Amino acid sequence: MEGSLVPIVTVPEVATVVEIRDEIDEVKTFYFNFDRPEIEQAFKIRSGQFIMCTIFGAGEFAVSLPFSPENDRKHISVRRVGKVTAALHELQPGDKIGVRGPFGNGFPFEEIKGKNIIYVAGGIGLIPLRSSIVQVLQHRAEFGRVILVYGARSSRDLMYKESIREWKATENFETYFTIDRPEPDWSGEVGFVNQLVAKKLSLPADNTVAFVCGPPVMFNSVIKELKLKGIKEDHIYSTLERHMKCGLGKCQHCAIGRTLVCVDGPVYTYKQIKTLGEQI
Amino acid sequence: MYWLERHQLDNLVKKLTESYELFGPRRDEVSGEIIFDRLSHPQQLDLKAPIPYNPPKYILFPHYEEILKYRYDRQSKKVVLGRVSHLKPKALVGLRSCDLTGILCLDRFFLGQEFVDEVYLEHRKKLFLISNTCVRPFPQCFCVCTDSGPSAREGFDLDLTRVGDRYLVEIGSKKGQSLAEELGLKKAGEEAAELKKKVVDESVSSFDAFALENKAWISRATNRLTTGFIKPEVWEYIGNQCFECGACSFVCPTCSCFNVEDVNRLDGATDRLRTWDSCSFEGYTKMAGDHNPRKPVEDRRNKRFFCKLSYSQSKKYLRPGCVGCGRCARVCPGDIGLPNVVTYIRREITGE
Repeated sequence: MEGSLVPIVTVPEVATVVEIRDEIDEVKTFYFNFDRPEIEQAFKIRSGQFIMCTIFGAGEFAVSLPFSPENDRKHISVRRVGKVTAALHELQPGDKIGVRGPFGNGFPFEEIKGKNIIYVAGGIGLIPLRSSIVQVLQHRAEFGRVILVYGARSSRDLMYKESIREWKATENFETYFTIDRPEPDWSGEVGFVNQLVAKKLSLPADNTVAFVCGPPVMFNSVIKELKLKGIKEDHIYSTLERHMKCGLGKCQHCAIGRTLVCVDGPVYTYKQIKTLGEQI
Repeated sequence: MYWLERHQLDNLVKKLTESYELFGPRRDEVSGEIIFDRLSHPQQLDLKAPIPYNPPKYILFPHYEEILKYRYDRQSKKVVLGRVSHLKPKALVGLRSCDLTGILCLDRFFLGQEFVDEVYLEHRKKLFLISNTCVRPFPQCFCVCTDSGPSAREGFDLDLTRVGDRYLVEIGSKKGQSLAEELGLKKAGEEAAELKKKVVDESVSSFDAFALENKAWISRATNRLTTGFIKPEVWEYIGNQCFECGACSFVCPTCSCFNVEDVNRLDGATDRLRTWDSCSFEGYTKMAGDHNPRKPVEDRRNKRFFCKLSYSQSKKYLRPGCVGCGRCARVCPGDIGLPNVVTYIRREITGE
């Protein structure tokens, strides 16, 4: 992962949407390339970072990056929730978007080499984790056990079905998939992710890091299980979301206590999150 | 230090108007208020006026400002975008030390953190700053508590102190030095420092008793805010009094939160505007999908005072975020300007 990490700060770089895929209800994935070859070449990210994405005529929003820093197609996966994301969902291949970034600290990578990693994701919480998962699998030999526990309401709500198919077939990658209620053709687990973590996982806690992303209820229950397993609070990572306007630590909308999610985050350890003094 | 005689003040102002747009305190004819405003005639400059109603913040960080302009033609898939700046150099004359300190806070915040704010930088590098020792604090002033007055120590190009009918001039930069030389100002003797001290001491003694009493309590409040040892009931009480009008943020020399919005023009172009915002507004932290992590108004009030006085925030400004101008106390309809909040925290500590 060589190259500079100089972000695009003020004026967005124009990119072209080259492909759009339906993921789950109201969530689409948009693949994009920068129009200027030199930016296409220079744009480097760390897993866990985010960009500010401009939909021309509608506005700008912060979005996490699901692609690996290495050899992966650039894309974002976005749920239609507000004015700007609704405008994004109206785009067609060939349309232009604007990109600033990448911003934020990102997930640890070098620091966790040699350790066991457990990813726990709920619903679209898999989006920000995908970047780290793919990168770790690209360097599989440099890590201990690698485990993914992914849950969604139903099989229709599972993100990245193509990646999931690949991951299921990947050697030395333990994957568990769960949905809330039984379905006729479902061969995976049934129940919430925290129950799955409680039931299935036995890990040497002192050499294990966990990455947890999902809705707040799921997050809290998973943290509880991980702590019961003896995983240290500063070995549990998550990424926070806040309303953001600049990504540069200036507009202050994403301030939580003394930190700014855009420059100090979005990745925090659970130990840090506990002291932020605001709900996640 | 130099002496600026009465007639030389006119020369100074005239000289500045040759290369700068002139801003300073003047009396508004309609409201009778003193405002820090653009001066269409140098004669409007009123250096003896009390503290202006508004800080000069808007000159460097306008209420709303175009930070990007773009045009996207969806048919041809063509995007034209860029930022055009037509900023003129500006001279700010007669800045109070509190307001000058406010500018220094903004400098350190916008230029000194992880990223340099290019929009702010453009405004900032074209400024000429002349401060004026404050000899007429108004009743809510407490810059003596926040180490930001009544006289300026740094950040100015020239600093004036009125002594009798003339001004002592201190030089703060090369730009200031060359202007002083151009005007042929007379060097002041050794007595200058003593004369200035006398003016400053007199000014300090004219502050209201509350400012002098609050002096020690500001640092106690900083301590409490930083360590989080303020009971939720205190924030609730403060929150209950907040009207969520945002006036405190808008008159604050250091409040710099902004919103960004893309505004479509009739001609098909879009302006990306950044506008002032306030952490007291309910929508401030609301995310798409309506989740709002900071909902109760006391959470939001808490945030503002944390920003002004906590130690961790002060590290960004290299000083407290409050400059003691007292404007928030003057405009707040709920009586929770910063001095009052310090009083509430003090009551909690002492159990009064």
